[in-house]
Amino acid sequence: MKRRHVLGALAAAVATGAVSRRAAATPTLRPPGALPPGEFEQACIGCARCAEVCPENAIRFGLGSWLSGGMPTLETNAAACTLCMKCPAVCPTGALLPCPPEAVHIGVPELTRPKCLPWRGEASCRLCYQVCPYPDRAVELVGPQAAPLFHAEACVGCGLCEVACPDRAKAIRIVPTKEPR
Amino acid sequence: MSCPPDSRAAQELRSGAGGGASLAMASGSHSLGLVHAVRSRLQPGDLVLRRSRRYTALRRLSLALSLALTVGAPLWQWHTRSALAPTTGPYGPVGAVSFFGVELIDPLATISVLAQHRLTLSLALTGLLGLLLTAFLGRFFCGWVCPYVPLLAATNALRSLLNKLGVSPPDLRLAPHTAVGVLIAVLVVGAFFGTQVWPLVYPPSLIGRELFQAVYFGGFGAGALVLLGALSFDTFISRAGFCRSLCPGGAMYRLIGAASPVTVRLDVPKCTSCTACDVICNLGQSPMTATVDEGCERCGKCVAVCPTDALSIGLRRKGARP
Repeated sequence: MKRRHVLGALAAAVATGAVSRRAAATPTLRPPGALPPGEFEQACIGCARCAEVCPENAIRFGLGSWLSGGMPTLETNAAACTLCMKCPAVCPTGALLPCPPEAVHIGVPELTRPKCLPWRGEASCRLCYQVCPYPDRAVELVGPQAAPLFHAEACVGCGLCEVACPDRAKAIRIVPTKEPR
Repeated sequence: MSCPPDSRAAQELRSGAGGGASLAMASGSHSLGLVHAVRSRLQPGDLVLRRSRRYTALRRLSLALSLALTVGAPLWQWHTRSALAPTTGPYGPVGAVSFFGVELIDPLATISVLAQHRLTLSLALTGLLGLLLTAFLGRFFCGWVCPYVPLLAATNALRSLLNKLGVSPPDLRLAPHTAVGVLIAVLVVGAFFGTQVWPLVYPPSLIGRELFQAVYFGGFGAGALVLLGALSFDTFISRAGFCRSLCPGGAMYRLIGAASPVTVRLDVPKCTSCTACDVICNLGQSPMTATVDEGCERCGKCVAVCPTDALSIGLRRKGARP
């Protein structure tokens, strides 16, 4: 092992530390307990243990944004997170940190009222309210048609509402949040 | 130390030793025929076969366990996952394995995350065992643990087949420090963009993710394309080229294990210069000339193939050439 190899390795280590920065990562739906966008991408090593233990198969590995292709996303349009909190327990690097279920912040709800049945006056659906783990906090029913009113600050982003919403409506979905709560 | 009497194989090779020099000039793939010729002359009672078999058996056991874990962990989790029951290990690919509470993260992951993220003591400790083992044993991970090994064996078998069919694939030998360049590139680019890039090009991580994808969703992701690229490179362009000259993990283990006291040792009086050891080495080392550097993965294939038992793996002798 020549001295120049050691110096080169040290230089690389210093360079890595010097240019290291928290980049403005594309907001993505991450598993519960995830570090804020930017920090998560620095810590996740793409080991897929979180996805392996998820009983709902809600954690998937899509192509992702470039350079973050090997990282997990929570696909609420496919399956919802039931807040069992097993994924932070198995994360080896702390990209997912254990937290109480109500402190989870996967994303925020985005309701498209023209699609929502009670808001259209077509039916008294109430399915999102019935499946929500935090009813009357994350979502409440208002008005004579019992239409849903979502409160992003109380919503954990689990996606149960998205899965429950009838196919002919599909009015509610969880979207990534722009800033950490 | 007195030399044991020449085995039948050694005697035959000595008589034919004049061809050794010209054989050394032959290209890597063709000379594998020499290895077969040497092996076929060994008799079951030869001492060299009994001793080297133990080493080979140990390594194959280690690789089998590693593969069982890599393939078994997603299968086990797939069958036992449940919201109510506690999660039991083992889980994780070999690069991030958890065995009933004991975490083992590979050094590349540990160093890359530590350099970018918070310096947590627990993360440093989980990577410590791998780091210490590599510092002492050299890049043993590549020869004893990496789940790419059976795939590499398949590419070598394919190359032999292609040779038999008359199509000789080239053996382009890139300089080993190309891998160091790849390592620095993925670390610096990753750090600059605030993300981990090496999982996209590091076979243990790729294989772990692709196996998860296969078990859980019956398909493959983009990582399979990178693996296919590496396999094609190893089959059609350069024998074991990815491990030898491209893998960033291999480069990291070479750097950490550069001062390893364990190496392949040559007993010069016993050597007949048959070049079988040089030919069988996947990583381009030259045990015959005692030129074995940090690129050696201590797989013991050279020890196993030597017909005169001139090679062994052990602590570096004082005064021996590095």
